[in-house]
Amino acid sequence: MQTMQCEQADELIGAYIDQELDAETRRQVAAHIGDCPACQTLADDVRRISGQVAAIGRELAPERLMADVRARIAEAGSELESQPRAPLTRWRGYSWLRQAAVLVFVCGLTAAAMALMTSRWADTALMEREVTAAHVRSLLQDSPLQIASTDMHTVKPWFAGRLDFSPTVKDLAADGFPLAGARLDYIGERRVAALVYRRRLHVVNVFMWPSADAIDGGPRGLVHKGYNIVTWTKGGIAYWAVSDLNMGELRQLQALL
Amino acid sequence: MLYDGKEMTDRARFERLALPHMGAAYNLAFWLLRSRSDAEDAAQDAYLRAYRGFANVQGEDVRPWLLKIVRNVAFRKLNDRKRATNVISFDAAMSDRVSGEPAAFQVADEAPSAEDLVIGAGEQETVKRALYALPPVYREVIVLREIEAMSYREIAELIGAPIGTVMSRLARARAELRETLTRMKTKDANDAM
Repeated sequence: MQTMQCEQADELIGAYIDQELDAETRRQVAAHIGDCPACQTLADDVRRISGQVAAIGRELAPERLMADVRARIAEAGSELESQPRAPLTRWRGYSWLRQAAVLVFVCGLTAAAMALMTSRWADTALMEREVTAAHVRSLLQDSPLQIASTDMHTVKPWFAGRLDFSPTVKDLAADGFPLAGARLDYIGERRVAALVYRRRLHVVNVFMWPSADAIDGGPRGLVHKGYNIVTWTKGGIAYWAVSDLNMGELRQLQALL
Repeated sequence: MLYDGKEMTDRARFERLALPHMGAAYNLAFWLLRSRSDAEDAAQDAYLRAYRGFANVQGEDVRPWLLKIVRNVAFRKLNDRKRATNVISFDAAMSDRVSGEPAAFQVADEAPSAEDLVIGAGEQETVKRALYALPPVYREVIVLREIEAMSYREIAELIGAPIGTVMSRLARARAELRETLTRMKTKDANDAM
């Protein structure tokens, strides 16, 4: 195996930070960064800038836009009434044959895709389900909190003795994400820390546990059952933030943590 | 009368599935066009187009499809603007630049309306200004990746390019952001002296 050169690493460092590389390339880039101060600096810069851009957040749409769009759709709706949708009927003649063919094709594709799926994807999908379930469960109860406090110096010590690691606790009230408190949860067959932040009327659960991955990575945005999820690894801790909050703002929270 | 019922359910479904993505749609349009009023127009056009083609859309996750329409509308507007002002813009950015001026200068005159230029010091404003200065194709991948936290595969699908292109475009975009930010910092330091 060849050692990686700077020019190659240059192109890959961003994808490395975004966790978009296969395991082998990822290992090579990590090794190169370890040996090359210039690329280490580049990686640090890319990571920092990535956080800075995320912190900008979405440019907010003016409030009247939603009403304007609704109005235009309503207008268009009455236009559409007078135009029957023709193209769909053309298919009906031998549609069952087509449907059967499509079904067979899709089955084949699915089988192929399943075979190709790496264990990491499978893990991620499983984790998505688990953290979403934990988030929803927390909202079904009277309170998602075992300790209600906006003070990080109260919340952080509360975890001592309850977990075998020390989670990151920050009060981000100044940035519009006030800390509501925390609780313990059980995800991936282990105890995890769950911090609860609020954003307007939305509740955000941020789950944390020690990561098997020593390398910082992410963030990755996922959507599961309408919930937005952002996951990343930082300082040996895996983070999963789940909420019905929009992706842009969830990403802002990620950049602050 | 037959269409009445169908029309109502389609509209309800559209409102339920598509309208929640207004924030993402407007944000993408804004960063492509760098103008609030143009972004509003683009979002409205895109939603109208989306609604007209909605009857044939299956599934619940309409965000990629919707953002694709927003992107097309915004790029068409950019093209019109370019034709109007006759300024080289994103075609230059699409080709690999080997030599010559950095893109930030090539597109400096791409004419966002003055009211929308970011004014101020602060870190966020500096980052915004640097993002403003990128060519549209680079701005777009940065916005989709960093603000919308989309994966490379999702971005590739959205912009209709291979994943490798997304990767190299992002790498270049980040390199330019980094350069611009460094240059701004040096300039600020010089101004302060």
